[in-house]
Amino acid sequence: MGLTGFGESAISFSSLSVDNKSFVHTIRVAGNVTREISRLNVGDKLEVRGPYGNEWPLKKVKGKNVIVIAGGIGMAPLRPVVHYLLQNRKKYKKLFLIYGSKEEESILYKDELEKWSKSGDIEVLLSVDKETNVCFLNLCHGLVTTLLDKIDVPLSDSVTFTCGSEAMMHFVCKGMIERGQKPRDIYISMERRMKCGVGHCGHCQIGAKFVCKDGAVFSYTDIKKYADNFL
Amino acid sequence: MFVISKNDLLNWVHDLASSKNVLAPVLNNRGETIFEKIHDHKQIHLNYQTTMVSPRKFIYPTRQDIKQPSLNEIQGKIIFGIHACDMHALSVLDKTFLGEFKDSYYAELREKTAIIVLNCNKACEKKYPNFILKGFCASMDSGPFLKLKKGYDIEITDIGKQQYLIETASKKGRELIAKSKKFKKALKKDISQKIKLKKSALVSFTKKLETKGLPELLAKTLDHPVYKQTADSRCLSCTNCTMVCPTCFCYNIEDNIAYDLKTAGRNRYWDSCQELNFGKVHDGNFREPRLARLRQFVTHKLSTWLEQYGCFGCVGCGRCMTWCPTNIDLTEMAKEIQKDFKEGKIK
Repeated sequence: MGLTGFGESAISFSSLSVDNKSFVHTIRVAGNVTREISRLNVGDKLEVRGPYGNEWPLKKVKGKNVIVIAGGIGMAPLRPVVHYLLQNRKKYKKLFLIYGSKEEESILYKDELEKWSKSGDIEVLLSVDKETNVCFLNLCHGLVTTLLDKIDVPLSDSVTFTCGSEAMMHFVCKGMIERGQKPRDIYISMERRMKCGVGHCGHCQIGAKFVCKDGAVFSYTDIKKYADNFL
Repeated sequence: MFVISKNDLLNWVHDLASSKNVLAPVLNNRGETIFEKIHDHKQIHLNYQTTMVSPRKFIYPTRQDIKQPSLNEIQGKIIFGIHACDMHALSVLDKTFLGEFKDSYYAELREKTAIIVLNCNKACEKKYPNFILKGFCASMDSGPFLKLKKGYDIEITDIGKQQYLIETASKKGRELIAKSKKFKKALKKDISQKIKLKKSALVSFTKKLETKGLPELLAKTLDHPVYKQTADSRCLSCTNCTMVCPTCFCYNIEDNIAYDLKTAGRNRYWDSCQELNFGKVHDGNFREPRLARLRQFVTHKLSTWLEQYGCFGCVGCGRCMTWCPTNIDLTEMAKEIQKDFKEGKIK
């Protein structure tokens, strides 16, 4: 997404575009472009190009338990994953959404989390780093990795989808592998600086991979072998 | 195949230059050869060694406004006399910009440019105050004679006795040749002379790099101490290596608002993985240590490029080590790792 005079920023989809008419982006103000986008009003125009990159391997993992682990704004690209899983509920075994945030106020999509939790179709587990008195679902204090012990399905028959800061994903991957999950069954959405989105500008390269074009979703084993990642 | 005398060849270029933009190697007042627009064939300096800046800048400009390309960029041109290694480098760049996603700006300039390649009869070697430039294109399979079959227009070879062998490789090339009646059909002896020269050129190299098994070796030795040692003691992160490299494709994009605050251009310009902020995102920098940036350059050129594009990212022109202020040589680093492997220090 871009604004003339300010530049462009790579933003993920946070909805399925079922009606083919609209889609949702969730944008956190982090730099010049996102700050300027946040100042737009209804009716203002912005530039959009894409979509670029690959997708979560949702069809490939049919018949398995699916564990979705999000950290902070990493919940945004995982929201359509939850939507898809719930729409095709019968094709999957048990579903988990484990979602860690810094503080209670920054938890995204609270209405939906409540709805999902009540439906019983997916087990929603929440954590916040900063202690809080607010009572929301089963919110607990601590890092997202403390919730990994609550996964009560055999990991050999499960896949994990995770998105968050690379430091958080490092501990999630470590925790899941320690608990017996095969590294190949962990899928990670990587974040890198992107300027073009089509594998030309070179900024997002990790080893031989372009995150914009070959990713952003990679299997843990495919990306771990390269230099300069914190996984 | 044709043969033409040196004089007639230069006259032909002279005639081309009267109606088209012809870029050719020219000796400047500092004794350096640079590619420049010529008006007169007397300017051409054919017996040159590798230039500092590679001819990639004519097809992939250092800076361009992608919203309004300038007229200068849109005009067609002829590049005369680039070496085989630089032509190979352009074919490497093609894999990035004309691959899965086509870059329309690059494609347009590439399409409108005719390229005339000059084969090298000898390994290039040039003495600079602090370094001797030595090409190793033979090791990288990109020279000294052209190995490509397409992507260029005309190939010329100095076959001695002031004669040049001319081979066309495209319709554009044949049309250019048709403009002069001085091109004569090549005889068998001319062709065999080229083969002979090719053989003697191949054995003239003193700088070599063993590339067999190198990509795999570098992929598994990412923690080798040579990167840290070199980065800590010599690398200045000045980005010279990536600016002179003929295959580097990275760019940055920047919006520039006009003074009237009403319009804005979008510039893209060459960027470098050696820059501190190249891999920076809002909450971290993935290649902050200098060692990581130096390693990115070496392993990309000699290892991961193969996985991406099926060829090396290095064509062996020798520019990066020549224009590095401390003359860091990526082949020396690769050789150190190969030595440790041979001695059994790496499994």
